[in-house]
Parts: sequence; C-alpha cells; structure tokens
Amino acid sequence: MERQVTAAAGRAAPGTPQRTSRGRRLTLLKVAAEPYLYLSPALILLSLVMFVPLVIGIGYAFQKLSLTDPFDRGWAGLDNFRTLAGDRHFWRALTNTLWWTMGSLFFQFFLGLGLALLLNRRFAGRRLVQALVFLPWAVPTFLSGLTWAWLFNPLIGPLPHWMAALGILSEPYNILADPDIAMWGPIAANVWFGIPFFAITLLAALQSIPKELYEAAAMDGATAWQMFTKITLSFLAPMIAITVLLRTIWIANFADLIFVMTGGGPANSTQIVASYIFTTAFRRLDFGYASAIAIVLLALLLAYALVLLSMRARLVRV
Amino acid sequence: MAEIELRNIAKSYGDVEVLRDVNLTFDDGEFVVLVGPSGCGKSTLLRMIAGLESITGGEIAIGGAVVNDRPPRDRDIAMVFQSYALYPHMNVARNMGFSLEIRKEDKALIRERVALAARTLGLSDLLERLPKELSGGQRQRVAMGRAIVRDPEAFLFDEPLSNLDAALRVEMRIEIARLHQELQATMVYVTHDQVEALTLADRIVVMNRGRIEQVGTPLELYESPANLFVATFIGSPKMNVVDCTADERGVHLPGGGIFCPEAWSPDFRPARLGVRPEHIDLTAGGQGDCCGWAEVVERLGSDTFVYVNVDDWGGMVARQSGNAPINPGDRVGLHFDPAQARLFDNAGTALYASETNRA
Repeated sequence: MERQVTAAAGRAAPGTPQRTSRGRRLTLLKVAAEPYLYLSPALILLSLVMFVPLVIGIGYAFQKLSLTDPFDRGWAGLDNFRTLAGDRHFWRALTNTLWWTMGSLFFQFFLGLGLALLLNRRFAGRRLVQALVFLPWAVPTFLSGLTWAWLFNPLIGPLPHWMAALGILSEPYNILADPDIAMWGPIAANVWFGIPFFAITLLAALQSIPKELYEAAAMDGATAWQMFTKITLSFLAPMIAITVLLRTIWIANFADLIFVMTGGGPANSTQIVASYIFTTAFRRLDFGYASAIAIVLLALLLAYALVLLSMRARLVRV
Repeated sequence: MAEIELRNIAKSYGDVEVLRDVNLTFDDGEFVVLVGPSGCGKSTLLRMIAGLESITGGEIAIGGAVVNDRPPRDRDIAMVFQSYALYPHMNVARNMGFSLEIRKEDKALIRERVALAARTLGLSDLLERLPKELSGGQRQRVAMGRAIVRDPEAFLFDEPLSNLDAALRVEMRIEIARLHQELQATMVYVTHDQVEALTLADRIVVMNRGRIEQVGTPLELYESPANLFVATFIGSPKMNVVDCTADERGVHLPGGGIFCPEAWSPDFRPARLGVRPEHIDLTAGGQGDCCGWAEVVERLGSDTFVYVNVDDWGGMVARQSGNAPINPGDRVGLHFDPAQARLFDNAGTALYASETNRA
C-alpha cells in the first residue's frame, strides 16, 4: 500500500497541478477501497448465510404464512405480534426458558468454577483427569438426553429410588412425568453436559494468572479468601462475563435435550421458546407466527448481550 | 524493625539438598546482601525468610520469635520481587495501599500513607495509572512503594534491579541506598551482581552451592577473602589465579623468579597465588616478577586494562590507572604488590600469616 502511494506521488509530481490532484484522489480511493476488497469474500459469505436469511425471517414475521392455509397469504402487519401477546403458551414458554437458562447456567457455572479451581491444584494424574472432565462435552446431545431420560425412569434408572431414599421424592416415580418438576430433569442433564465447558475455559484463565501475584498478595497479608476475591476473581471476571454470555445464548436456544427427554411435555411444562418456535414452524407449519416468536427471542437475547458486554467493558482493565 | 536469625537452616527438594547449615544473623537496621552465582540457593533462602518456601531444617526467628510455621502474612515482612509482581488490575495507589486495604485500615489513613510513600519515591503524579502504563523504572518504584507503605519489620529484595537497563540500575541502586538511610530498616537483598552487593551492603554474605562461603563487610571480602571462591567472585575484572609451588624463601614464579608476599610464613604450602588486576604494576621491557607480551589493551579513560600473555603461564589482566603508555605487542614486566597478593592452599582456603589478619 505504502509503495503504491509513493509510486503514484512520484509519477504525479512532474505533471500539472490539475493532474496531480486528480491522481492523488484516485490513489486515495484505491487506498480506501483496498481493505474492503480483501474482506469481500468473508463479507459476501457472511451476508449470504446470515444477513439474507435474517432479513427474510424478519419479513416472514409480518406476513401470514401458514402451510396449512396456503391460500390465505399476504401482509399481516403486526397481527402475529398481537396474537403473540395474548398467547398463553408463549408466556409459559418464556417463563420456562428463564428457568431452564438460569437453572442450568447457575449450576454449570458454580460447579464448573469449583472444578476448575480443583483442577488448577497439583495432584497425581491431573492431566488424565483434565482430559476425562471434557468427556460429557464430547457425548452427542441425543445420547446424553436419552441416557438421562432412562436414569430418571424408575423402571430402569436408579435416580428416582435414590431421591426417594433421600426423601426428595415421596415415592420413586419419574419426575419427567410430573408437570411441576419435570423441568429439573433436562436441567440436570444440561448441567452435567455443560460443566466441562466452564471448567476448561475458566481453568485456562486461571492458569494465565502469574504465580507471583499470589506470593505478593501473601506478603501483603492476604488470606486465601482475599486472594480469591481480589486476585483470582478480578482476573477471571472478563472470562466469566464472556462465557456466561455465550452459554446463556446457547442454553436459551438449546432445545435438543428437552426435545429428547420430554418433548416439551407433560402439558407444555417443559416447553421453552426455542422448542415452541420449532413446534410452531415444523409441526403446525405456521412460519409467519414462528418468525414473530423468533424475533422476540432475538431481541431479548440482544438486549441481554448488550448489558453483559457493557459490564465486561467495565471489568476488563488488564 | 527487628533482627532476623537463621539457625542451622536446611532446605531440600526431595533428595536434592539446596541449602545446608546456614547460620546467619541480620541485625536490626542492617543492610545485608546475599550474593552468589545462580543456583547457589540465595533466592531460596530469601523466600524461606519470607515464608514462601517451607523450611526443611533449622529455625528462622524474626524479632526473637520463631516463625517457621507462620504463613507469610503473619511474619510482617515486605518483599520486592524481581518481576515486581504488581497487581495489573489495580492502579498505582491501590497497588501500594493493598496491604492496608487487606487489613481493613481506614481509607483516609491508607490515602495518607500512600501519598507519603509516593512522595518519597517521586510517584505522586502516577497514582491513578495502571502498571501497564508505567515504565520499568516506575514499576520498580511502585514495587518498593508497596513495601514501604506497610512499615514492616524487615524488607526483602529478590534481585529487584535485574530487569532494568544499566543506567536505570545505577539510579535505582542509589535510590535503594537512600531509602535504607531514611528508613533505617533491616533489609535483606539478593543479587548476583557484585557491584550492587559491594555498593549497597553493610555486610555481604557470599553463597555457593547452598553453603555460605564468607560473611563480611564489602572491604573485608575484597581485601581478605576466606577462600578462592570469594576471591574470584568479588572484584572486577576478577583476580588472576596462578598455580604455583613454594619453598621457605617464597613462591616460585614462572620464568624462575621468586616472589615473597608481605604476609609470608615459611610454613605455608600454597598451591595457588592470587593477584588482583589493580595490584599488578606494568613496566615496559623485560623487568619484573615475571614478563610477557601485551595482547589486548582496553582504554576506558579512567583506567587501562592490559591483557598480558605471561611467558610459560598464560593470560593475566592488569589494571593501570589513567591512560598507560602500553600498546598491544609490547614486551612488559609485571610487578605484584607484595601487600595485596593472596595465597591459597590445595583446598582453596586462603593462607594468612596470623588470625588477626583475617576478617
């Protein structure tokens, strides 16, 4: 780039003032356009696979587009959203999404953090354990969902019997069949599935903290708890913010486990927004309404991401 | 402020013994430098005093109380690390006041103490900055500020200047000396740089392979080294050491000359003769205790270093003050100062005429 500029300037120098300024303008244009040329393959690809479908999806949300009623098509305005506001199932799914996401995230994060802190200590066979910890992450969702569903089944699984013995359940029955507590089944499976992600990312962040800082803090008189809060957590904060953000979005959209374990039932008690969208679009074949739900979910998650990212910007000082 | 006592200190990692039989007392207000080649155990010893390394054997007492089982935070000692170990997420003021913050001191008091320390170290304008926005020298100052804010029983320095460039190192060395005069605190300083040791220390502890070779004031170590290791470690360029034989008249030099040091005793059976470069006088021509050819001449203005290839012997360095009229290729005679030449026996122990001569 630099060479081009100097070469152009060198060429233009002996010419008339007019030609010089035109030549310079052309050079400037070239310089300005160059980065976009390099970026263009990625930009074109991204817009093809993300931007175009997004715009089309947003367009669907404002149309009547149900395959069960193919002749009643056309512009619907805000009708879909109006229906949505009064849709009991949607509000139920939104509440369920909140429980599902927060419940899974809370346990995944704290158990993952604990595991990371344990794995950060020296002990024999640490490398092996570190590798094994990653295992649940490698199991296909479908398989783990099925396995957990079986574990909760009192005919073949031990969990209901254990919970009954501990007094959590009055008798060993399948919690996936109880609308009041069915959600905890998929949450348990999701916690098991998601701990490794937090453990490994937080472990990586833990290992990047210089050891001398703990020694300096020890000399400064810090207790173990003070070291944890004032050094470890300060260093982990940016990583925590970004992983929590990512996981929230993933979990909120993560209907696979629920689909395999309960199919949204019993009586919609485990239906989350993502699975509701899926059901609406591909069971009831109402694409317009499904798109409207999807846009509401997108807006909620975007708002959440903005809040968390601005928090992160304040946390990152290192 | 307090005195620190080390009694029969030993340290081993598994089967590897890194320190043994270390007995030392650092007096109240004394500046002691631990010096030695890398791997000699000096940093380990310092970290044991700090409480960052466990003690395998012996006792460490600070202000009379044995602290072996006390964690660092109960020893009331401040330490300046080689890497400074500043908290990167805290600004200078919070870095310096962290020890007080931890003790939940009053905010106004912290601010006052930090401001005072910052003024001492010339950091007043930088209090709001983060460590990454500071130069190496400034970070070094913050690390020292963090130590002095606390007013601890003693200060430990672990090679604090080794990450600085040469000019800054001299500047900070003077700063540390000034700080010691001002605070009159017990300071233990680890370095492998003998210039730092000689300039800063009230007393120097020379260590080698986990043992103490000699303890003494800088001049004692320079003038009366206890053994060959200390003799060659202290002083720059280092002492010339030559294998020799002797009879009752004196030391036989190559080329047939006999040299008799001032402190000569006929009972000595020296195996080596040591002469510092500054104790060799060069004359043109072939007259002297021994002779050779000047190979390389380094002129520093204040001094001239002459590398002489001595006949039947090998290389020796001589230091002449000012600009000596000697050029490479000249034939020179070497005169050893009889008062300053040192003799060592087979085991490397220095030979002195009587115990009174020795430190």
